[in-house]
Amino acid sequence: MGPWGYVSLAYGIVWGIIVVYWFLLKRRYRGAETELNRLRSSEAAANHDKN
Amino acid sequence: MAQSTNAVKSRKGILGGLALTAVAAGLCWSLLVAPPDAYQGEVQRIMYLHLPSILTAYLSYFLVFIGSGMYLWKREDKDDLLAHAAAELGVLFTALTIIEGSIWGKPTWGVWWTWDARLTLTAILLLIYAGYLMLRSSIDDDQRAASAAAILGIIGFLDIPLIHMSVYWWRTLHQPPSILRPDKAPWENVHPAMLTALAISFVGFLLLYFYLLSLRYRVGEMRQEIKALRLERGV
Repeated sequence: MGPWGYVSLAYGIVWGIIVVYWFLLKRRYRGAETELNRLRSSEAAANHDKN
Repeated sequence: MAQSTNAVKSRKGILGGLALTAVAAGLCWSLLVAPPDAYQGEVQRIMYLHLPSILTAYLSYFLVFIGSGMYLWKREDKDDLLAHAAAELGVLFTALTIIEGSIWGKPTWGVWWTWDARLTLTAILLLIYAGYLMLRSSIDDDQRAASAAAILGIIGFLDIPLIHMSVYWWRTLHQPPSILRPDKAPWENVHPAMLTALAISFVGFLLLYFYLLSLRYRVGEMRQEIKALRLERGV
């Protein structure tokens, strides 16, 4: 492998891993947000029924 | 509530946009503008990833150290959330540093890996904080997990001065620092275009780091809220 091959390999792997991590983190973020909104809205509905 | 959530999201969006711009500028400068190194040639361009990654990892472990210390002192969840989020990102950036270093090592040293003092201590750093994350997930009681992890987070930080000094204390293959040298200012030792590429890349990594940290911290915060709401309802 030539010098640009090593440079491309390093930049490709590093930015690939960062993009995959960002994508997975966004998915965890959206999952938690959805779950929290669902719990909050069912809590609000339960409080409304009590009143 | 919705307004403040939108404001937080918009701040995250701005930070993400800034990070992307700085990263793109750093890539252009590192790959197209900076000259090749006189001895190593083009392969030295890996330095523009390698140094910012390890400095970002050190910053992350410093935040783990601060968050852990504050948690043990004040027992506030926000400090533990910060330490946990920073530890995860620290592991990510340390792993990236080892991968880049390995790819850089092959054409310069002739090997992908060697049990050199600095490399070994960096691998130990990665294992300590990977252990930190495993320890947290292996203890069911949140407060016990946070306390045990905080102690490990503080002890693990002691490896960083050892890594920095390893190239002075032991005969190593790894070169001594080019930038953080006690005897010379960076601009006396490094070509200005190389220094600019390094500075832009570092700013890009920092902005990206704080963007990812803000997302990861919020994930932890939301998970705690979910747990509290479930407990409240006995689910």
